[in-house]
Amino acid sequence: MDEQGSGARAFEFHGSWREFAPIAFTNLLLTIVTLGIYSFWARTRERQYLWGQTRFIDDRLEWTGTGAELLIGYIIALVVFGIPLGVLNFVVQAMAMQGHDGAAALLLITIYLLVFFLFGVAVFRALRYRLSRTYWHGIRGGSDAQGFSYGVTHLWKTFVGSLAAGLLVPWAMTGLWNQRWNAMSFGPHEFTSNADWRPIIGRYLLYYLVPILLVVGGVVVAMMIGPQSRYASPLEVQQALILAAVIGYFIFFILLGLIALFFYAAYFREVVGNLSLADLDFRFEARTWDWFKLMIGNFLLVVLTLGIGFIFVGYRNWAFFIRHMNAFGALDLDSFTQSTTRKPGQGEGLLDAFDVGAV
Amino acid sequence: MRVPVWHYDGQSGVRQTRELIVAAQGFFLEGGGAETGPFAFSDLVPHGAIGGYPQYGLRKAPGWRIGFTEDVPAELAELLPSKKGYGRLIDKVGLWPAVGVFVALSAVALWLLVTTPPMLVRMIPESVEKKWGAAMIGDFGGRACIAGTGSAALAKMAQRLGAKDMDIRVVDIPIVNAVTLPGGHILLFKGLLDEAESADEVAGVLAHEMGHVRNRDVLESLVRQLGLSMVLAGADGNIGGYTNALLSAGYSRATEGRADAFALKLLQDSSVPAAPTAAFFRRLSKVEVSLGEAGTLLGYISSHPLSSDRMKLFEQGAKPGATTSLDASEWTALRGICSQRDEATERGFQF
Repeated sequence: MDEQGSGARAFEFHGSWREFAPIAFTNLLLTIVTLGIYSFWARTRERQYLWGQTRFIDDRLEWTGTGAELLIGYIIALVVFGIPLGVLNFVVQAMAMQGHDGAAALLLITIYLLVFFLFGVAVFRALRYRLSRTYWHGIRGGSDAQGFSYGVTHLWKTFVGSLAAGLLVPWAMTGLWNQRWNAMSFGPHEFTSNADWRPIIGRYLLYYLVPILLVVGGVVVAMMIGPQSRYASPLEVQQALILAAVIGYFIFFILLGLIALFFYAAYFREVVGNLSLADLDFRFEARTWDWFKLMIGNFLLVVLTLGIGFIFVGYRNWAFFIRHMNAFGALDLDSFTQSTTRKPGQGEGLLDAFDVGAV
Repeated sequence: MRVPVWHYDGQSGVRQTRELIVAAQGFFLEGGGAETGPFAFSDLVPHGAIGGYPQYGLRKAPGWRIGFTEDVPAELAELLPSKKGYGRLIDKVGLWPAVGVFVALSAVALWLLVTTPPMLVRMIPESVEKKWGAAMIGDFGGRACIAGTGSAALAKMAQRLGAKDMDIRVVDIPIVNAVTLPGGHILLFKGLLDEAESADEVAGVLAHEMGHVRNRDVLESLVRQLGLSMVLAGADGNIGGYTNALLSAGYSRATEGRADAFALKLLQDSSVPAAPTAAFFRRLSKVEVSLGEAGTLLGYISSHPLSSDRMKLFEQGAKPGATTSLDASEWTALRGICSQRDEATERGFQF
């Protein structure tokens, strides 16, 4: 099962948007006429197509999840977490109105902590679900963990990460990625993930410091130009100020967006590049420029089609992901036997309940 | 008939070469010195095709796969299940009939959403509603305004408008708004009194809120919102959100319109001038603009969308011979109602 001989990449995407379009449009139609209930089956059909068009080494992936299990997962999450949280929220409001401000605040903090914890559990379980429904060579992935300890880590690392004014965020992100993937397996093999925050902290610092530099720079420029505008009329000064504010606003957000992308590209290369399964080492090869093209493409696709194009965004993201994925090493198929992990009964409902979009 | 296939057994990742043998009770797989089966053709699950050659899974046998390596003979193709499409139910009836059925069902569901909340609300006894309202408001954490002369002025205004079975209070919170809670509780916020220039402007707002009480709008919208969010729960992100927002906005426009009509009639019946209400809306809209977004979020207009129709309704509905609802000294007293607050009942619950 060695890939190097053929000269082809370990991952290859065979899909075409022409083939995908009938799926996307009928999905949209059925989702609308069922008031959204079909969206679970729509997502399943989309994944069946995307997975089926993805070759890894010598065979296609297969998605075996069903719409029904996604729906059930969603309903369970709604009943078990959504409704109690809604009721608690109502209780908090009532308590605040009745003047129990302290108790209300305490309850509110508890709810927030609970939500952070549950969000972590949701992310973990969504990954576990996706791996358990992904087949390759008739073998699937999964995890034996329930995700509760991951939820706890997610809670405190999110909290600590935001300490020191957010400087520890890369450390929290890579640590969580490692913990998540180290708990996952495919077939008989465990994933191992050793992502490190140090290689990416530089880009993060850039993202972190640029807003400060921009503000300082803006003040310096204003102080240099300010005295010269002494002879300008008030109207001219006002116009110049408005112009400067508009330009500054755009520079600020475009630049910040680009640097965020610059960081994220490095982050993704770092975390995927340190992921391995048995003797297979994964690698992600997209540079910032590739991410930029993806984002601009998605943006234009949605804007130029007045929003309809969003049905192709999942396709584009997946194609991007697969095109830049690579793997090196070999996998011994004789010892590649079926996963013994427990197959979760329902889909990624908890994550859906948090309204997080995914492929 | 024997046809070559590749095969995964779902236990090992090694791709095996087998021959599919069609038999009376289904098919067998033979090769590698073993024969497995029989398998029923009806248990096969289509998993698409690669290079034009279809592949199949087996029901209740995860990971089990067969795939053809050459064109499928016609006699065999007839036995294989047809390509899976939109989901079992939809495949059975076909896409367009299914769309038709879904449209009809959705229409019924939405129609039920429109018609059942008022019915449900009528089934909830007023005493229960009162309890809910009381639980929600409690004692306002000592922010209820209770100055004697102000309370008398407020009572007079309420009486003039014919308020019965309603609990009307001023709360010392500096936002320009008024809300109605279940159980006939109307709260006027102090900011509203500060912003109003005459008693009749307050009377207009009060009459509007009394309309909500009379129509039991608050409970209805609570029930409807609950129903909407449950029905649209499945909708992924945008579609559900948009539908929900559209429907809710439609309803709130309708209920606000009804409350306005009620308020105008009430003002006319009790001979309170309606023009000041229109003036109040006009002035508020200017204040909101100058305050920007933050002001709008908190303000009366965000929850009571301002339209020229609305102002016209009150301007044109003004009848001659109306007399002001409170005299100057009573109006002053009402504005000073928060000089004394209901702090005695404040509970020692703070942390």
